[in-house]
Order: sequence, then structure tokens, then C-alpha cells
Amino acid sequence: MSPGDIWYLIIANPVLNVLIALSHILGGSFGLAIIVLTVIIRLITWPLTKRQLNSTKALQEMQPKIQELQKKYGKNQQKLQQEMMKLYKEAGVNPLGCLWPMLVQFPIWIALYQAIMRALATTPENLLDLAQRLYSWSVVSQAIPLNSHFLWLNLGSNGDFLLAIIVGGTMWIQQKMTQAPAVDPRQESTNRMMLLMMPLMFGFLTFMFPSGLALYWAVSNIIGIIAQYFVTGGWGYLKFRSPVKSTPVKGK
Amino acid sequence: MKQPKKLFLVAIALLPLILTSCSLFGGAPVSRGWAGTAFRDGIIYVGTKDGRVVAINASTQSQQWDYTVNSAIYTTPIVDGDLVYVGTYSGQVLALSTLARSQNLTFPQQRYGEWEWDCPTGKGKSNAIVADLAMSEDALYVASSNGRVYSLDKGTGDENWKREDIPVLAEKLWTSPVIQGDTLYVSTFAGHVYALSVETGESLNWSFKSDAGFASSPVIYEGAIYAGSFDRHLYAVKIGSNVSMWKFPQEKPAGNWFWASPLVNEGIIYAGCLDGKLYAIEAETGEKVWEFDTGDPIVSSPILMDNLLIVANEAGNVYVINPQTGNSERIQNPLSSNSNAPTINTQIKASFCAYGGLVYIRGEDNQLYVVNIETKIVSKPISLTTQE
Repeated sequence: MSPGDIWYLIIANPVLNVLIALSHILGGSFGLAIIVLTVIIRLITWPLTKRQLNSTKALQEMQPKIQELQKKYGKNQQKLQQEMMKLYKEAGVNPLGCLWPMLVQFPIWIALYQAIMRALATTPENLLDLAQRLYSWSVVSQAIPLNSHFLWLNLGSNGDFLLAIIVGGTMWIQQKMTQAPAVDPRQESTNRMMLLMMPLMFGFLTFMFPSGLALYWAVSNIIGIIAQYFVTGGWGYLKFRSPVKSTPVKGK
Repeated sequence: MKQPKKLFLVAIALLPLILTSCSLFGGAPVSRGWAGTAFRDGIIYVGTKDGRVVAINASTQSQQWDYTVNSAIYTTPIVDGDLVYVGTYSGQVLALSTLARSQNLTFPQQRYGEWEWDCPTGKGKSNAIVADLAMSEDALYVASSNGRVYSLDKGTGDENWKREDIPVLAEKLWTSPVIQGDTLYVSTFAGHVYALSVETGESLNWSFKSDAGFASSPVIYEGAIYAGSFDRHLYAVKIGSNVSMWKFPQEKPAGNWFWASPLVNEGIIYAGCLDGKLYAIEAETGEKVWEFDTGDPIVSSPILMDNLLIVANEAGNVYVINPQTGNSERIQNPLSSNSNAPTINTQIKASFCAYGGLVYIRGEDNQLYVVNIETKIVSKPISLTTQE
């Protein structure tokens, strides 16, 4: 069995069939099926998300100490790195922990992209190919062909401006909630650039990929914001206008 | 924070790469066409993978002419007199004159009867033509991806029906209409069979609704319509009735969709299924007469020649079957010493035609294969790619 076959057997085809079955259960709405599937995926990846949120919360709580270190060792980057790593170690925080949920989502995005394109079968070849990937569940066969329209969107066509704003906007809010302010102006400007880069990139990708995938991003971001709000206990750094001035530094 | 930031930036850099790989992994829209073959007066007409209509002389196996449409072609050409009609994925119907094309004149040459017709797109909809055209004595009937059927004058390409009278029958129409008397019957992916007036295009009183959508184009036999469905059944519907006569299989569904349009002969329906089986079914009762498993999906419709059924599966195997008994013989691949090798070394998705004991099949490798049913010999394939 080739890696491609394994991919389809374990990930791509199950996602496709669940999506189509959900669509039938939800009254033929493929858009609602994507939303429900997003919720399911977020539930499955919840342990990773929870770890990430806890890391975020711990990092937020450590900010006064981090800022103190930044002030103290600002001119000696090597020393600053060493001290910060020591601090993370003592607090039992993995600053890379926030990357895992994102990395885990890559194969999900690919599977979802394939599922949306295959399920909507925008060309005759895609429809014929779909036949070979469907389970024999009656709930699946009764759902075909799917209705590609949801709200103002054609889920099989590339996203529009409004959807791009929703995707980028929700991503910006989610990131802004977790991004700690920095004392070093250079670092602060890097932070600001990073805060904009991802939302802009995903906003741009919305124009290049089917609306259905962008809908997944938007809903996933909104769920992320809600989860972050409740786990970290509030809007985090979203409320700071001038974080450096407003953050108290212990020991001063 | 430097290390996480580096990783973060790496992740960002990887993002477009991974998202691009979405299309590499498959699922991206592909439309290359699978036009079938048509035979008339010693010439084979076929749409190619590179978007051309080609005429091949059957005896010399040489290309008589070609015409580039720059679009995928899914419709099997229809030949009527000196004109070859073809629908394109870019939403055009072309009437090509064999005389004008042989001289490589600019298209369209009205003095030779050539014309082209552009299908309207509709609101946010494609106008692609996927379904085979249907032809009556005077008109061509075109099912479009915009969900409407159009009637065109065969001689001029003018629309016969008022556009405001033409109903939207479905989200898209990829199945061919069939003509019975003064009525046109259309099956849809949403599970309807509609009856339209051949004169005006207006919906007539009768329609039929199934629980699942129809995957295949319908066929009509003795007042009943037969069409394959996405629920893995073949349906029989008496015209005028609101309930189906029968559905096959009667108990549990078949292994996949009945994608290809079935063939009906002497009270028996021969239906190819994507589960790889060819089923022979009593038209009146829906009882199975026999079944034959080819092992791979059957995408193209079976044909009947000299009282023999010819069936091809997607894997490239061609079978000759006795329609009464279901006894079959697979045609061996002449180029391979492996007896299990498929008849031809490429996939078969297009419909095929037969004449004089020869079957003309367009393979997915853009070559034309000629299979001699009597001698069971497959001749050297004819390339359909552009000839210099």
C-alpha cells in the first residue's frame, strides 16, 4: 500500500464521507456540515489546544519577569536567551507548545480541501472520482450531489473579500489575545509584523482556495477565540493599547 | 523568544507550500474531457484530450482533418450529412462541415452550413456542455451546466425556444435528454425526471421525483424510462406514473453508482455499474437475468454489435458477451505476454462505437484503439495528438 493509499484510507476518505453524511443530516447544507465538522475537529484536538492555552496563560503570567529580563539583559541577546530559557524551564512552560496545534492542523486542512473539492465535484472527472471514495452508507448516497451554496458563498469557488476580512480579522483577534508586549522596541516591531503577517496571509489565501476551506478557517478561529477567552480568563492582550507602559514590572 | 519566533516564521513559510500541496495530493478540479467516438462513411470522429475534434479515415488510419476548440470535450460528436455537431466544456455547440474542415478553411464557413452557438451562462453558473447532444430530424437538444435545455435549429444554430419559456430544471445538467415523440425527457442530479415540450421547451404536466439523484442519462423503452441513480439503484419509471415500476437491485444496493446510460434490447436492460459489474435485467419486472463482473468500474455504456454485447471497463479491458447467457470472453492485450494485462494499456472512460466488426475506442492516453471482435485483435493505436 502506497503512502497515498494510506492517506486516503485513514484521513482523506473518512473526512470526505463524514462531511457528506453531516451534510445530509443537516438538511442538505454543506456549509453547516463544514461548521459542525470544524467543531468536531476542534474537540478532537482539544487536548493540544488546552496545552497551548495553558502555555499561553503561563506566558502571560510570566510577562513581568520576562520584561524584567529584557530590561536587564536587553543589550546581551545571548544572555537574555539563556535567562529566558531558564525561566521557562523553572515554570515548566514550553514556548514552542503553541506551534503544535497549528502543525496538527496542516494535514486536516489538506484533507478538508480535498474533501470539499471532491464532495462538490465541480467537474465531471471529480464526480466520477467521488464515486470511488464514498462509503456505502445510505446517508452518503442520498446526499449526492451536494448543494454548494451557503449564505452568500459558493463553497466550491474561491473566497470573496468579505470572507477574507472575516478570516483575517478573526485570526488577528486570536493572535492579539496571546501576543505579549515586548520592552525592546525592535522586538515589539517584529511582534507587530508577525501579528499582521498571518492574518494577511490567510486573508490572501482565502482568494486562492475554495470558500468552504476559508469557512473552516473562520469558524476555527472563532472557536479558538472563545476557548482562549474562557481558558485564559478574558481577552488577554487584546485590550492593551500601549502594553509596555501599562504592564507593571515587578521589582522596580 | 527568538527560537519560537524562528519556528513561527518557518511555519509561515511552510504554509503556502503545504496549501499548494493540497492540489498535488489531489482533489483539484480537473476537466480534460472524455468524448466518445462516432463512425460515419468510413470516418471516425472524436474529441481529443487536447481540445480538438478529429476526423480519422478508418481504412488508412490517417487524420483527415482536425479543428481546435481549445476546450475540453465531453460530448460524443453527432454526424448528420456533411455536418459534425459537438458541444464543448467552454459552452459552445459547433456545427463543423467535413468539406470545409478538409480544406482547413476558417471557421465558421456559412456556405458549407457551419455555425457556432454560445450557451448563456446564467447567474453565477457555468455554461459548460457535458452531456451528449440529442438530435431529432430538425433540431439539436443541448443540456447545459446552467440547468437548462436548449433546442437549436440544425441548419442554422438558431434557438428554437423562447428563452423566457425555458425552465431551470436543476443546479446543473450533465445528463443527456432523450426524445420520445413530441416530448423531451431529462433526468437530473436532484432526482427528477422532467418532460418538456419539443415544440416550446415548456415543462409538461408530468414529472417524477426519486429520493436520490440520477447519475446516468435516461433511456426509454416501451413507455418506460430507465436511469441509474446515486443511491446505487437502477430505476424504472412508467411515463405518466408518479411511482417507480421497480428499482434494481431490489434488496440491498449495488456496489456503486449506475453511471453509464443503460442499453435496452429485446426486453432486457444491460446496465454497467461502477462496481465493475454488467447486469442484465428484465425491463418489465426488474428481475436479474444474469450479471458479469469485469472487476473494474464500468464508465462507458455497453454497445450491441452483431448480437454480441461489447463492454469495456475503466481499467482498459474489453469483453465480448453473449447477451442471452452472459458468457464472456476478454480480449487479450496483443502487446503483452502477461495474459492478465488489460486489453489496452490505458483507461477507458469515453463511449465507443462499432462498425463492421470493429470497435473504436478512445483511450485516456489520447489514442484511438481499434478492436476486431471476430479476430480478437487490437490494432496498433492511432495517436490523436496534434500532427505536424
